Formats: sequence, structure tokens, C-alpha cells
Amino acid sequence: MEVFFYLFAVLATVGAVSVLLIRSPVYCALALVGTFFCLAAIYVLLSSEFVAAVQLLVYAGAIMVLFLFVIMLLNLKSDQPFALKFSIPKIIGLAVTVGILAQLIGVLNSPAAKVGPSGEYTIERVSAEGATEVVGRLLFTEYVLPFEIISILLLVAVIGAVVLAKRYVASGEEESG
Amino acid sequence: MIAEQYLPVLMLIGLALGLGGMFTLLAIMLGPKRPTDVKRMPFESGMPTEGSGFRRYHVRFYLVAMIFLIFDVEVIFLYPWAVQFRNLGLFGFGELMVFLAVLVLGLVYAWKKGALEWE
Amino acid sequence: MNVPVEHVLTLSAILFTIGVAGVILRRNAIIVFMNIELMLNSVNLGFIGFAAAMDSMVGVMFVFFILVVAAAEAVIGLAIMVEIFRNKGTLNIDELNLLKW
Repeated sequence: MEVFFYLFAVLATVGAVSVLLIRSPVYCALALVGTFFCLAAIYVLLSSEFVAAVQLLVYAGAIMVLFLFVIMLLNLKSDQPFALKFSIPKIIGLAVTVGILAQLIGVLNSPAAKVGPSGEYTIERVSAEGATEVVGRLLFTEYVLPFEIISILLLVAVIGAVVLAKRYVASGEEESG
Repeated sequence: MIAEQYLPVLMLIGLALGLGGMFTLLAIMLGPKRPTDVKRMPFESGMPTEGSGFRRYHVRFYLVAMIFLIFDVEVIFLYPWAVQFRNLGLFGFGELMVFLAVLVLGLVYAWKKGALEWE
Repeated sequence: MNVPVEHVLTLSAILFTIGVAGVILRRNAIIVFMNIELMLNSVNLGFIGFAAAMDSMVGVMFVFFILVVAAAEAVIGLAIMVEIFRNKGTLNIDELNLLKW
């Protein structure tokens, strides 16, 4: 079982590095879809199957499709000039990035981050009730308020999307095809 | 364990990747390659190729995709409600109706603004 | 699965760092945005890892809320990017200096 985690971890990292290095935005988006797939597989291994399904549906299925739509819409062939032309600020930025990684790994592996099983939702209990059922029960009892606020957030997103994009559609008739 | 139940899915993915990869590899390895200029052209019913294959999509598709994404996220929250429908009772029903009412507001707005019109 | 939680968190840290590097190094605004999505996903992975290690559901619930925020952000952000592209004709972030003195 553990082998699969490391396999998908390596694949996810490869996908993420590809997003960093590939020139063409379309291939970047596809590499990111691959990373999302690997993360979904890891979620299954961590016994959060519903989250894995949602990851595939929303991230790999919808958000990345939207990215691809925008790339096709704007006809962005490749990153011009290519992104990884190094300048002094970028090298400093890269150094900061490496620092962030060292910090993160240091903190996450420190004794302060040591966690033991302290909650009540053990794997046996979750798989007895069903992962989706547990999420449903919690979402509609303990997390009612965040759940209702989500609807407001989505409403704002709909209105924002329509306001921002409708003008373009109204005036963009000449770009058929 | 939940993860063990997904072993068949993994096997199916492995089988699909393996078969597809194997056939592609076999075609590359075994197929004769005698390219000429005519053969390398993209096939357009015998007409000479014109323009690039990378065409811009119309914005309409993009607006529809945006609205789809938002209501896709909404539907995600219907699944956990549906599996717990009997246990949650009237309270859960009311909660979901409030949730849906707010989103229907968004749908009505998009409709009124003509975002759902194709033209 | 007996993978130690440290390894899950380390993967999450690596993905997050790659996302940060992408935001710093890439110039195409859409790819910068993809890297932001990658960072959000790495945070999700950290939440799931902690949830599995602690036998808790709080992390899983948080992932849902992050997911909604990510979707709303993708919609609005991409709409803004389309508008910027229409007005300036480019998505090279070095040239988008409207808010810079």
C-alpha cells in the first residue's frame, strides 16, 4: 500500500515541476491535471474517498477546463519571452523559495507538529458509516453556517462572472469561430 | 480500509495505460515510416492546408463554462445531503432550500442579464 | 496505510514550494494562476494528511470550503484576466504595471 503513496507522490511532483518548466500553457494545464489526478489517488489512500471524487470533479474536471478555455480564447501559444530567463530578482526569489521549502519541511517534521490520533473519526468508524455520509452529517449539523455562507460566495461569483464577461460577449461578436 | 477497495480502479487505470502505451509503442516501433511532404500535411479533405490548427474559441463558450463551474460546485454539496436525507429530516431539507434559494438568485440574475442566451 | 504523516506533509510542502517558485518565475499570468491553484491543492493535501493522522474530520471539511473558494477565485480571476487581455493585449505580468508607480 505504501508503495502507491510514494509512486503517486513522485508523479504529482513531476507534474508540478512540469507546470514550472513547460513553455506552452496548454501542456502546463494538462500537467496540472495529472498532478490533480495523483493527488486524488493520494486522498483515496488516506481514506478520504469523497474528497478524491470532488477533487476529480471540480479541479480536474471543471477548473482546469476553464483554464483551457481561457488559454484557447486568448490564443496564448507559448510563454513569450520564456519565463525562466533569470535576472537578479528572480534568483533572489528562487533563493527565498528554497528557504521556504527548508522552513516548511523543518517545521512540519519538528516535534511540535507531531500529532497522534486524538479525534473520534477513526478509519474503521468512517468506513463503517461511509465517508460521504460522515461529510453529509457534519456539513448539515456542525458546519451549517459555513455551508450557508458558501452559497453567498457562489452567488457573488456568479454575479461577478456575469458582470465581467457579459460586456465582452456583447461586444465580442466579431471574433467568431 | 477504504483504500483497498480501490485496487480494481487502479488495475483498470494500469491496464488502460499499459494497453494504450503498448499499442502506441508497437506502432512506432513496427510501422514503416516513409514520410513525404504530402504525407506530412494535415489532412483536410484533399484541400491545401490553410491557417494554423490553433483556433480561438468564441467567448460564449467561456461564459457558459464559468457558470457551469459555479453550479458544478453547488451540485457537489447535494451529494452529501442526498445520502443523509433521511437522517437529517426537515431541518436538513430547510438548510438545503436556503442554500439553493440563494443560488437560484444567482441563476435568475444570470438569466436576466442574458448570460444564458446563445446569441 | 502506514505512511507517516511527515511524508504526506513533506509532499505538501514540496508542491507548495513549486507553486511559489512558479508564481515568482513564470511571466504568463495564466500559468501564475495555475501555480496558485497548485498551492491551494498542496494545502488541501496537508489538511487531508492531518485529518487522516489525527482521526478527525475537521481537515476534510476545510478542504470543501477551500475548494469552493478556489472555484470562485478561478471564475473571477480568469474573467479579470480576459478583461486585462482585452484592454492591454498581453498577459505578460512584467508589462501589467497599471498599479505600479
